Amino acid sequence: MSMPPFLRDIEFAVDLSLVNAKGWCLDLLGHFLPDWTVVLASIVISGVAILALGPLVMMYLTLLERKVIGRIQNRYGPNRVGKWGLLQPIADGIKMFTKEDIVPAQADKIVHFLAPVVIVVPALMVFLVVPFGERMTAVNLNIGLLYFIAVSSITTIPIFMGSWASRNKYSLLGGMRTAAQMISYEIPMTLSVVPVIMMSQSLSTNTIVMTQVGDLDLHWFIFTPWGLVGFLIYFLCAVAECNRPPFDLPEAESELVAGFHTEYSGMKFALFYMAEYMNAFTLCGIATTLFLGGWQGPFFPSWLWFFGKTFALICVMIWFRGTLPRFRVDQLMGFAWKFLLPLTLINIPVAALWFFVPERLAWLYSIAIFAVSFWGLVKLNCAFVPEKRIYPLAD
Amino acid sequence: MEILELFSKIGIYATMALVLVFALGVVALRNLFHCALCLAAVLIGTAMIYVALHAEFLAAVQILVYVGAVMTLVIFVIMLTEHLGGKTIRQTNRQSPAAIIGLSGIVVLLGTLLMKTPWPVTAKALDAKVSVMSLGKALMGTYAFPFEVISVILIACLIGAIVIAKKDVSEKGPS
Amino acid sequence: MIFGTGILKGLFVTLKNFVTSYFRKPDNGGIFTVQYPEERDKAIEAFRNFPFLAYDGTPDKVRCVACGICERECPPKCIHIVMEIDPLGKPARRPSVFEIDHGLCMNCGMCEDVCPFDSIYMDHAFEVTAADRGKELVRPKEALLKSNDYFLKIRPGTATLVDQKRRAAEEKKKLSRAATLPPQGPVS
Repeated sequence: MSMPPFLRDIEFAVDLSLVNAKGWCLDLLGHFLPDWTVVLASIVISGVAILALGPLVMMYLTLLERKVIGRIQNRYGPNRVGKWGLLQPIADGIKMFTKEDIVPAQADKIVHFLAPVVIVVPALMVFLVVPFGERMTAVNLNIGLLYFIAVSSITTIPIFMGSWASRNKYSLLGGMRTAAQMISYEIPMTLSVVPVIMMSQSLSTNTIVMTQVGDLDLHWFIFTPWGLVGFLIYFLCAVAECNRPPFDLPEAESELVAGFHTEYSGMKFALFYMAEYMNAFTLCGIATTLFLGGWQGPFFPSWLWFFGKTFALICVMIWFRGTLPRFRVDQLMGFAWKFLLPLTLINIPVAALWFFVPERLAWLYSIAIFAVSFWGLVKLNCAFVPEKRIYPLAD
Repeated sequence: MEILELFSKIGIYATMALVLVFALGVVALRNLFHCALCLAAVLIGTAMIYVALHAEFLAAVQILVYVGAVMTLVIFVIMLTEHLGGKTIRQTNRQSPAAIIGLSGIVVLLGTLLMKTPWPVTAKALDAKVSVMSLGKALMGTYAFPFEVISVILIACLIGAIVIAKKDVSEKGPS
Repeated sequence: MIFGTGILKGLFVTLKNFVTSYFRKPDNGGIFTVQYPEERDKAIEAFRNFPFLAYDGTPDKVRCVACGICERECPPKCIHIVMEIDPLGKPARRPSVFEIDHGLCMNCGMCEDVCPFDSIYMDHAFEVTAADRGKELVRPKEALLKSNDYFLKIRPGTATLVDQKRRAAEEKKKLSRAATLPPQGPVS
């Protein structure tokens, strides 16, 4: 990329400003305190940054969601608390803290209490491997992606705990739906990631971002046929994984009151909510990392690129919520097993094709393969539609 | 730095102790759902020990397969089973003496095996980092045959489950 | 045959709504929310809320003659009227007490319909509050009295019609009085 060297330097400095700030803090500590405290402080700083980022992101995601949904429905959304309603999340937080905490008399008290506490843990743990920017991954695990998939799969268990401990049929139904949905959508999601692993030959999120380096920093995986299809499948599965509309059957308000968190109030409910929004954020963050080139991008600092892409994806999720009605249970399952899963299985050989065939030809082949398979899958999935009835006497 | 190592050691031993406690819970608790949750905790704790022993891949797979899939299915079954979810059931078994004898036999066997096996802690073994790539190569190269056999068994299981679950229309007829 | 085109169409509709909400007018796909305390909708003339008593000129010229028709017709019985007794012990055809309990009033507007003296009308003021549910919501006569000018301002159509009617009636009365009684100077 052709850029004056001083601009490059400035970009670099801004890019690493957060990393450098942490480094200075640690240096300062190193002058006064023994070595082991510096190591501890490094862990604590990263940990606190993540622990603060999670809830902060969640708080402002709720505001963003309400604003965007409002605009979609030609309303303003919250705009009373602070400028543009920017203090609304804080007001909500105070409200949540001061609300009465109701536990049903028949509930399994311990499990009922543990469920919301446990659900936040995997949601926060996932933040560890998300590369927020250049050299801004908390832990550079060499199995980063696998870690992400594994940890996010734990989320079903606290949902189960909450739904079962409430002793409420709506909760239980919500829990069952969650389990069925999450198991089903985890498979296409994991398989849609496989081509990315094949191309970057690594499971580390950092390495995956680094393999998307190219001219103008725009050599993202989404600009390849398998990347595009993989991204679409991954994103749909991500929407389903964090139980957002149109896949929000586990907490369908109109059918199940609120699903697994019907019997939760106050801060416990807030924790469920928080986990959900943080999951949405991390899933979008990982989608950015895998397909949208992570923190790569021209001109702006890397973390800005990362957050920009992630929030764009989240806005798409909100857009879905503002547009689409809820699936039926059988449609949901059918979509995962009969449509997404075969498509991912086709996507993997197409990625292999991309690896071995020159680019132009590969584009041609992959478009042809995807068109045929998409058409075929739609044909096969087509539900039985009765013929239009004719009323001979009507006219 | 010694203090940090001490901390990590304490952490590992605490995890091990917790795993043991939860393992006791799995067999001792009366509520089946609590047992299942304890089992999940045991599996997660085991994964944590793997991480402490620098076997991250194994840990991730352990959580993915056991906690993510197997435990979910177990809990699903518990919830689907009538009258089991909410009640506390005394676990009675008339064959418990025989079970104790059998178990102690296994314990003795495993114990002697563990004691007899030399555990070489060499510098090379400590440094060896099993990368994902080498694992993959081993699975697709050296151990390709057992790998494929396992997949065949899994497919057989799937087909068997479908056959069992399928309604036999011809025998019963439309009810 | 479903290729997902319907979903794309739906997404496009919401996207259009989102974008146009920033710069279009309310009747053209923009935001139609009225930010209440700062902005308010122009009240339509027939809007009705809690009755008021109209007077001509000064508050002592009350149109109400305390006939009590509205008191009797009021469905929730929220009106309370006491006729004023002049020093001679005769009814003065004026209310000494005229109270409306806003806690009971249901804004039906029947009092306005039945009043033969063009006295009681429905108001446009809806921001009526009180710190206490019992006593303070019972509005006394002083709070209910509002001038005819105010009436003309909030409901110009009805008010002008009423004014015309009253003026015509007065003319007629004057004429008939002039016809029956020869001018004899001031009536004692």
